[in-house]
Amino acid sequence: MKNKVKKLNVVLAGQANVGKSVIFNYLTGLHQHIGNWPGKTVEKAEGTLWYKGYRIDLLDLPGIYSLSTYSIEELISREHIAFQKPDFIINVVDATHLERNLIFTLQLLEMERPMVLALNMINLLKEKGLEINFKKLEEILGIPVVPVVAIQGKGLTKVLDKGIELVEKKIKPKPLKYGKELEERIEILSSDLNKLDLPYPKRWVALKLLEKDKEIEELVKNKKPEVLEKARELSLELEKIHGEDSSIVVAHERCSLVSQIVNETVKITKPKKLSFNERLDNLTSHKIWGYPIMFAILALMFVSVFKFGNLLSSLLENLTLNWQKIWQAFFGTSIWSSLGWTIIESILALINLALPYIIPFYLFLFFLEDWGYLARVAFLTDNLMHKIGIHGKGFIPLFLGFGCNVPACLSCRIMETERERFLTAFLVTFVPCSATSVVIMGLVGQFLGIGWALLLYLLTFLIILVLGKLASKILPGEPVELLMEMPDYKTPNLKTIILQTWFRLKEFIFIAGPLVIISGLIITALYQTGFIFKIAQFLSPITVKWLGLPAIVGNLLIFGILRKELILLMLATLLGTTNFSQVLNPNQMIVLSLVSMLYIPCIATIAALKKEFGWKKSLGITIFKIAFAIIVGGIASKLLNL
Amino acid sequence: MEFSLLQAKENEKLVVVSIMGGRMATKRLADMGLVPGTKIKVLRKAPFGPIEIEVKGTKLALGRGLATKVFVKYEE
Repeated sequence: MKNKVKKLNVVLAGQANVGKSVIFNYLTGLHQHIGNWPGKTVEKAEGTLWYKGYRIDLLDLPGIYSLSTYSIEELISREHIAFQKPDFIINVVDATHLERNLIFTLQLLEMERPMVLALNMINLLKEKGLEINFKKLEEILGIPVVPVVAIQGKGLTKVLDKGIELVEKKIKPKPLKYGKELEERIEILSSDLNKLDLPYPKRWVALKLLEKDKEIEELVKNKKPEVLEKARELSLELEKIHGEDSSIVVAHERCSLVSQIVNETVKITKPKKLSFNERLDNLTSHKIWGYPIMFAILALMFVSVFKFGNLLSSLLENLTLNWQKIWQAFFGTSIWSSLGWTIIESILALINLALPYIIPFYLFLFFLEDWGYLARVAFLTDNLMHKIGIHGKGFIPLFLGFGCNVPACLSCRIMETERERFLTAFLVTFVPCSATSVVIMGLVGQFLGIGWALLLYLLTFLIILVLGKLASKILPGEPVELLMEMPDYKTPNLKTIILQTWFRLKEFIFIAGPLVIISGLIITALYQTGFIFKIAQFLSPITVKWLGLPAIVGNLLIFGILRKELILLMLATLLGTTNFSQVLNPNQMIVLSLVSMLYIPCIATIAALKKEFGWKKSLGITIFKIAFAIIVGGIASKLLNL
Repeated sequence: MEFSLLQAKENEKLVVVSIMGGRMATKRLADMGLVPGTKIKVLRKAPFGPIEIEVKGTKLALGRGLATKVFVKYEE
């Protein structure tokens, strides 16, 4: 008989900043796959490990604070647990913030799946003057509690052992009991639900009905509307007793139950002394000092990434300088040969973007995130971001946009709702990326002086401000207010940072690569057949009449769709000189730079937008930007030529 | 006397009295452990920006709009 490998489906669940991804990386290493949940802008991280004869498929659920329907992440998580019925759940909890973490643990328990509590960061308890009675906690919660130090890998095998034991012995946890008034009503509703075929546990559905959860109300309404009536009646009774909305009554009950548990299991052993990390927090979030420090850190990041990037990038360019000639020596200069070369050139261009710029940028970013600094940035810039219709967390994608719009669009996932994500991504596409900066600096900066270049940047910020304000008014739905945990500073974990960077890089290449190559082929074919000049001719009423630019610009703008810096490179190629002042007067330089900044997201950015928001919205942004650039460019041209 | 959290000063120790927001806002705050009766401490306020408080040993940043909906009183 063949010894078949037994499979287990396990999920990691927990709030943000509890070290969930550290555990995930530790257990799965490079055996992981990061994608999106089908049709959602939410990241899905899956990995595999083999342990004691089991093949364990591990899923890292998004970091969330509850199982309601406030955010897409929460909805996805609870549906996954209910429908996929994982063999067991590993609830990762930050031991130094037990009280807040347990609020979520109670909700997970209510899903009635086997569960292990991984009590992380126990090495920090002493420093914080805390002591936890693990045995007692285990007794009260009724599930295995395993002390863990994730960054050292301590306790992780025990977590798996305990989980496997639960599966083998078929032990399911029991949800904890709330106050009498609430419990009575849960019981009435649960028994009413008894005969219904529901994917969720009955008690949980009853509780959600009392919390007035829209999705669950809908679900029950379709099956047995009288239960919904009953639930409304019972909610009203609760509201009469407690004088607050029934959903708050439930939340309140949960909070007091957790307080009670913490009182019984946690001892504060010594008065708190200000640690180094807390002093650091006080300084970096300071109402005055926080800003120059933030400016210094971000400027350092930017300057060092670009200095390093430019160096490496010119090194790479020199290295591949002769490759085209070598290629042509072998394959000639036929159309097929140039198409073949285009593929190589596109791949080189991707490498030349990824190695010098994207990798260092990501390393820096994930370092700041893992350390805990990004939350401070969001805190300090919240007010500024409100002016453009989003909140503090949106600063990070916008800032990233200066490097490359692609990772910036992908990082819009940190916003809470679909609306904020789309709005932020829309604004990101207006941030001049490093390639756009090449055009501005190479044209306006070089020939008209840095002052004019800065003026153009200033104009872009103004445009972002106005468009943000307008878009947040027009887009349906309420703007979301900032509500964010400020994580404690901690020693950054190198492995987490490197793995994060690696998976993000892979994602970038998969998204951008195919489209960059395909569109490169199309444009080369257009160029080789001379068709591109016909298109430029066709565009001339816009480029020549309205924008006041030479007809050749039509070609440049088509090439610019591939990569913005091609606008400048092709101009040099077509002219045979880099002295652009021969063909463009100062006004034309300004207009061309402005149009280059605004007119279209590059093809890789369009691909990223498509991945996050679908074709419709990404084309919507693209068309809007083209129209907007034509209007603004034309107005600028008319004003400059007055 | 209760007043809005936005008017609180740094280092003040307070108790949440009520939350005057929609159900969504109230629920979000409750998930973070902020319900009526919870003791909080104001850690810092960014200039015209969000307000940072300590709830149950955790630091939370609340946008101004959200802070106006949280009503508090001094701890006795």
